[in-house]
Amino acid sequence: MKTPVRITINGEPYEATVENRLLLVDFIREVAQLTGTHVGCSVEGRCGVCTVILDGKAVKSCLMLAVQADGSSVLTIEGLAAAGRLHPIQEAFWEKHGLQCGFCTPGQMMTLYGLLKSPKRTDEEIREAMSGVLCPCTGYVHIIEAVKAAMAKVDQMTPAERAALFPL
Amino acid sequence: MASATLDTWVGKSLKRKEDGRLIRGEGQYLSDMVVPRMLCMGIIRSPHAHAMIKSIDISRALAMPGVVTLVTGQDFKNWKTIISDASIPNLPGETKRPLYHPLPVEKVYHVGEPVAAVVTRSKYQLEDAMDLVDIDYEPIPAVIDAEEAMKPGAPLLYPEWGDNLIYHQRITGGDINKAFADADLVVKERFECHRCGAQPMETRSCIAIYDAAQGLTLWATTQRPHNIRDLLADYLEIPHDKVRVIQPRDMGSGYGTKAPFYREDIVACALAIKLRQPVKWVENRMESLMNVGQERDQIHYVEAALRKDGKILGIRDKMIANDGDGQVGIYGGFAMPHLGAMYFINGNDIPAVDIDLNCVVTNKASLTPVRSFGSYAGRFAIDRIIDIAGHKLGIDPLEMRRRNAIKNFPHTTPIGIYVDSGDFMTGLSKAAAAIHYESFREEQAAARKQGRYLGVGFGMGIELSGVPSEVLVELENTPGYGVATVKIDAQGKVQVAEGDSPHGQSHETTFAQAVASELGLTPDDVYITYGDTFSTPFATGTLGSRGASYTISAAVLAARALRPKICQVAAHLLKLPKEEASDANFSFENGQVIWKKEPSKRVSLRDVAHTAILAPTRLPLGSDINLEQTYHFEAAAPGMHSCNVHAIKVEVFPETGTYKILKYVAVDDCGVPINPMIVRGQIHGGIWMGLGNATSEEYVYDENGQQLSLTLLDYHMLSAADMPSDIEVIDNSVPSPHTPLGSKGKGEGVPGMVPATLANAIEDALSPFAITINKLPLRPEYIWRLIHSSGKTSTQSADR
Repeated sequence: MKTPVRITINGEPYEATVENRLLLVDFIREVAQLTGTHVGCSVEGRCGVCTVILDGKAVKSCLMLAVQADGSSVLTIEGLAAAGRLHPIQEAFWEKHGLQCGFCTPGQMMTLYGLLKSPKRTDEEIREAMSGVLCPCTGYVHIIEAVKAAMAKVDQMTPAERAALFPL
Repeated sequence: MASATLDTWVGKSLKRKEDGRLIRGEGQYLSDMVVPRMLCMGIIRSPHAHAMIKSIDISRALAMPGVVTLVTGQDFKNWKTIISDASIPNLPGETKRPLYHPLPVEKVYHVGEPVAAVVTRSKYQLEDAMDLVDIDYEPIPAVIDAEEAMKPGAPLLYPEWGDNLIYHQRITGGDINKAFADADLVVKERFECHRCGAQPMETRSCIAIYDAAQGLTLWATTQRPHNIRDLLADYLEIPHDKVRVIQPRDMGSGYGTKAPFYREDIVACALAIKLRQPVKWVENRMESLMNVGQERDQIHYVEAALRKDGKILGIRDKMIANDGDGQVGIYGGFAMPHLGAMYFINGNDIPAVDIDLNCVVTNKASLTPVRSFGSYAGRFAIDRIIDIAGHKLGIDPLEMRRRNAIKNFPHTTPIGIYVDSGDFMTGLSKAAAAIHYESFREEQAAARKQGRYLGVGFGMGIELSGVPSEVLVELENTPGYGVATVKIDAQGKVQVAEGDSPHGQSHETTFAQAVASELGLTPDDVYITYGDTFSTPFATGTLGSRGASYTISAAVLAARALRPKICQVAAHLLKLPKEEASDANFSFENGQVIWKKEPSKRVSLRDVAHTAILAPTRLPLGSDINLEQTYHFEAAAPGMHSCNVHAIKVEVFPETGTYKILKYVAVDDCGVPINPMIVRGQIHGGIWMGLGNATSEEYVYDENGQQLSLTLLDYHMLSAADMPSDIEVIDNSVPSPHTPLGSKGKGEGVPGMVPATLANAIEDALSPFAITINKLPLRPEYIWRLIHSSGKTSTQSADR
């Protein structure tokens, strides 16, 4: 069975008639051809590397169907750098060596995007919030440093600057 | 040999060149690739650990719309078996070889073994089609436990062998009988390490493409494209020039799991050739958990002979490795335990060694390599026996290590492992200081009075830093040398082509730092090429911490070899006398080639390159204008090693057997760190893997060989919340005398440091209960049972 869906990704609308069983992550990767969002655990939902922002919330896009996201707005890693300028999340991961092979990085960064909008800032809160995305390369040490560096950057910004960084 | 550079980038924690694309989602991983006319391949796998294949009915599947073809073992039964001389270790000792096809013809040997391959037009059709294949199996008795498999009458995997022993080797050195005759104390213990290892976030995948002109092109997630190319050409009997293997620019890590020659790649190639259409295969996580990253799984019966001052005089080890079915190319399931046996005594100066290595086949998946290649279990055993012996002799664990550590370098172990350089004594002191060991015993005693159980544990060992040809040719039928081609382009930028295949190890950055330093450039001026067997020199791949020891050394020496050629052109352009045209008379700085005698006489490297490549008429006829150099680096003495000491402070909660790591200290040696930030990242990742393996990761098989850990929820890798928040990495680098920069590799061996360090800490915390930890993983339940079988209660012990 097929259903027409319209999903806005990084501000661009994508319309397609898709099989009902098509996963959101496959809509993003194959219909919209945005391959920055990865698949690591094949629909278990444990690895988290497919995390995207859907209507303002971090979700694992392998645990949703595209039809469930009909009418929604999605932000993926490709949409982080607004107007060609790196997002503080990207700068922080780069500066702190928060990635090695880079495969989980999109999931880490989109999870952080969700976290940055909350007031959570303690080490324990950060670790808990980031625990949905696995990283076998870094031991999370530099990821946690990157999270804290991104928080410091964002916390210094004016509300208007912050709002511009978080369109979703 | 010291670096001859003036403006060196070596030692600087530069941001990585790789990251610009990766943080933008612009990575190019294999699963992102789409090729015109591409078809999808799915693999149907055995649900049985040991069974005869009675029949396979493919008719329903073939009738499904979207299904293109389907192959089974019957399609391969007239092909030769995969095992060829080049695809199995060529080690001393008694070896047997399982003969197998890309898909099994008669029998399956483990749950998850490929049985049939389906090709469809779309990915989602695969799931439907695979459900329609009817396979009739007749299960036969399986053997899962290695010690059971060694007993007479055990089910045999390969009846023609007469037993289940795939590999046996006796490794001896020194006078072991004298060591035991002279001993004041003999300590015996059985150590067991469970099956665990790694699961890279990107699973295995490939795209096979075939056409008459180019031949076969295989894009593959592999750590060793050149070896895979050779083995494919050999197995498929295609001329070497018609086989090209390419590792994509980005790969979601490997940790050793992507080093073997796997049969799914062969099946995809066979199908692409048959169909004349590209075939893509992307492994799912369940398939990965059933087939790759399964390592460790060893039992060690250790006997140590000690003098009463704590010195180990000799050690015996009956080592039993559960190799699974042994059906994996290049490693055969036993290359890992072999090297583990060779490294068993590790960083200790032990004069006599006797190891009886028994590698046994069972109905589990074949062992495949993972970081700490074969050594993880042995590292647990050796660093545990030192603490156990220390308890019996009343000698502090730190002191036990001081008495047994290798002190004089270079050192050759009695079984021939050459250890070039390092400094354990300083490492031990640094680790002790960082964990506040001086005041710890007081703190521990005070805490116990409050009913709290704190402990500190140490671990100490060597990490191989690349493997020399001398060892690697035997171990994996491939050379160990590092190779790089350094080429100056017409704009004076420098291209480095390496035959290794980085996938997270940061070669683009560290190679640029090293090569730029040699030529007076910036890392931005250097770019690297890798992964494509048609454009890079043959090399053995990215594994075994060889990048910073072997391969980067080749790049540095190739760059150095280009300098005299550059000076020739520069001298001519500067109109200097011919005899001035030697490397010694010039310095390379800020992109300039400068005549030392009169530094105002200088020419840019760009002008030199531009002249040589685009305007050779400015040079005398017959000038050498070749600004390209390939260098093969083999160390003068085989065996660069880093010498490391780790320490853990832990609090244990006896009521539940749970524990919390309060502090982790890693004192590591990297020779000369090229980029210290990247080195720290490698160590952090190694600690993570070591901890996850030691505490929660396990490939669980039931008594029938069913694998019970088929999701990442069951195979639990540590999350950010599971990791200790206080991890301190301390540099204790001693330059290698055998590499041009003094550099050593880093990453491979780090996990091996962890299990004994943690077990030693837990046992130290629980010393009132007098428990002995001899098994992994260190689950709370296991610790709780040890406490409860000790006959002591926490109240009694707290009173002591």
